[in-house]
Amino acid sequence: MELFTPDFGLIFWMFVAFGVLFFVLWKWAWPVVLKTVDSRADLIDKGVEYAQSAKDQLDHARESAQAVLDDARKQQADILREADKLKTQIVEQARSAAQIEAQKVMDSAKMQIEQQQKEAQLQFRNQVSEFALRIASKVVKNEMKDQKAQTQLVNSMLDEIESK
Amino acid sequence: MTRYICILILSLFMSAVPSYASDTADGSEQGKINPKEIIFEHLGDGYGWEVPFNHHKRIPLPIIVFGSDGLHIFSSARVTDGQVYKDGDATFLISKDEASGNRGKLVEIVNGKEERPLDISITKNVCALFIAVIFVASLLLWLARHHKASGFKAPRKGLGAIEALVTFIYDGVIKSTLHDKARKFAPYLLTVFFFILGMNLLGLIVVFPGGANLTGNIAVTLVLAILTFLVTNIWGTKHYWKEIFWPDVPMWLKFPLPIMPVIEIFGMFTKPAALTVRLFANMMGGHMIVLVLTLLIFIFAAVNPVAGGATTVVSVLFSIFMLLIDVLVSFIQAYVFTMLSTIFIALAQQHEEHKKEEKKEEKEEAQAGQPAVAQPAAVR
Repeated sequence: MELFTPDFGLIFWMFVAFGVLFFVLWKWAWPVVLKTVDSRADLIDKGVEYAQSAKDQLDHARESAQAVLDDARKQQADILREADKLKTQIVEQARSAAQIEAQKVMDSAKMQIEQQQKEAQLQFRNQVSEFALRIASKVVKNEMKDQKAQTQLVNSMLDEIESK
Repeated sequence: MTRYICILILSLFMSAVPSYASDTADGSEQGKINPKEIIFEHLGDGYGWEVPFNHHKRIPLPIIVFGSDGLHIFSSARVTDGQVYKDGDATFLISKDEASGNRGKLVEIVNGKEERPLDISITKNVCALFIAVIFVASLLLWLARHHKASGFKAPRKGLGAIEALVTFIYDGVIKSTLHDKARKFAPYLLTVFFFILGMNLLGLIVVFPGGANLTGNIAVTLVLAILTFLVTNIWGTKHYWKEIFWPDVPMWLKFPLPIMPVIEIFGMFTKPAALTVRLFANMMGGHMIVLVLTLLIFIFAAVNPVAGGATTVVSVLFSIFMLLIDVLVSFIQAYVFTMLSTIFIALAQQHEEHKKEEKKEEKEEAQAGQPAVAQPAAVR
């Protein structure tokens, strides 16, 4: 059989064979295979994308965690500083309050002392007058018989002393 | 390792000598060997299928012919040994007439003359074609069944190899060339690839299920090229046809003498012709080299027994080497055929998109007061 002249029988059967093969594969093989291959490629693409975004998110999360930590530290320092300030303030306030209280106590004590002094003076005056009366009466008993004249004399003498 | 190779070569050499002895006994009976006839017999088609170690027995295949008086179906065993077969009124035999060009083909004797009937016999090549179809279809249906059953689970071993080929062609060739149209043409292109690969590889197996020089037969490659031609042109876009009949070239190239359209139309047909010849010549060449190397043994043995023995070693080693190369060539040729088909189809799938952009740019340039430079030739 000649090599370069295509044989009709073989051409005919080749069309038939290819047609049958193509139909069989087109119907039952390629849709399934290509669908899986395509969707698997999609799945892998998506997986890579997802992993990438996850990695991004992780990096981001680490950053944000660090930020939160830094913020917390700053807040802590702030709070401590505030507390320190508050402490000194409270101490100061307490001190001033105590001073005021002490002043009050002292003032009232002074007033009491003054009062007592006054009372004491009054008492003293009464006693002195009594003593003086007693002395005077004894003196006048001896010197004067008349009670009335005696008392007048004494009072005038006492007034004299007081006015001095 | 080298020791094993030495032993192998030595045993080859030793086995060559006694086999030579039996060959001479055979040769003296048959007379001189005719290398050309043997080579072309093996490269070509036949009505029966040769079996190893026996030159007379063949696997009989059905002969189907439409003779002068209608359909005849009979076994090839009735004619392959040079007998004349009478089926009803019709007489058939295998022609030995060198001049008519029908030598080796079935002819009908009509009025004392040999006439070629319409012959759609299941010859050796047709039978090999069916085997290749069954082989390829079963492999790919196996793969499809795996995908249906296991979904995304990647196949292992043999199936993994088939799937690797599918993704190699689908992702590497079809998708990267046809882009969004890949899914539409993938079934055809993948079928072509696996069919050619299957036929090529089966052709390399020397004994029964293989051994037919299918893709080295011009009828087979011609049909494949015609199919690509049909797919290319049936699904060709408007733009494709416009490029053929009214391409973007200066007017004098297409009117009044349609030089460019003629060249383009000629180009339409050279593409499938190139596809046909490339695959055919490559595969036939591979088969021929192995045949020649094998025949060298017998040619030298006829001259000198020692030379025959030495040639055996060299020829066998070379044949193995060539067959291994042919395995590679089988794959490469299937790949090249698919790739070129994809490119031809892709060329017929172009739209006017980038041309419109070009025109827009030209307009903008013109509006800017600059002379618009039309470069249709450069675009092509």
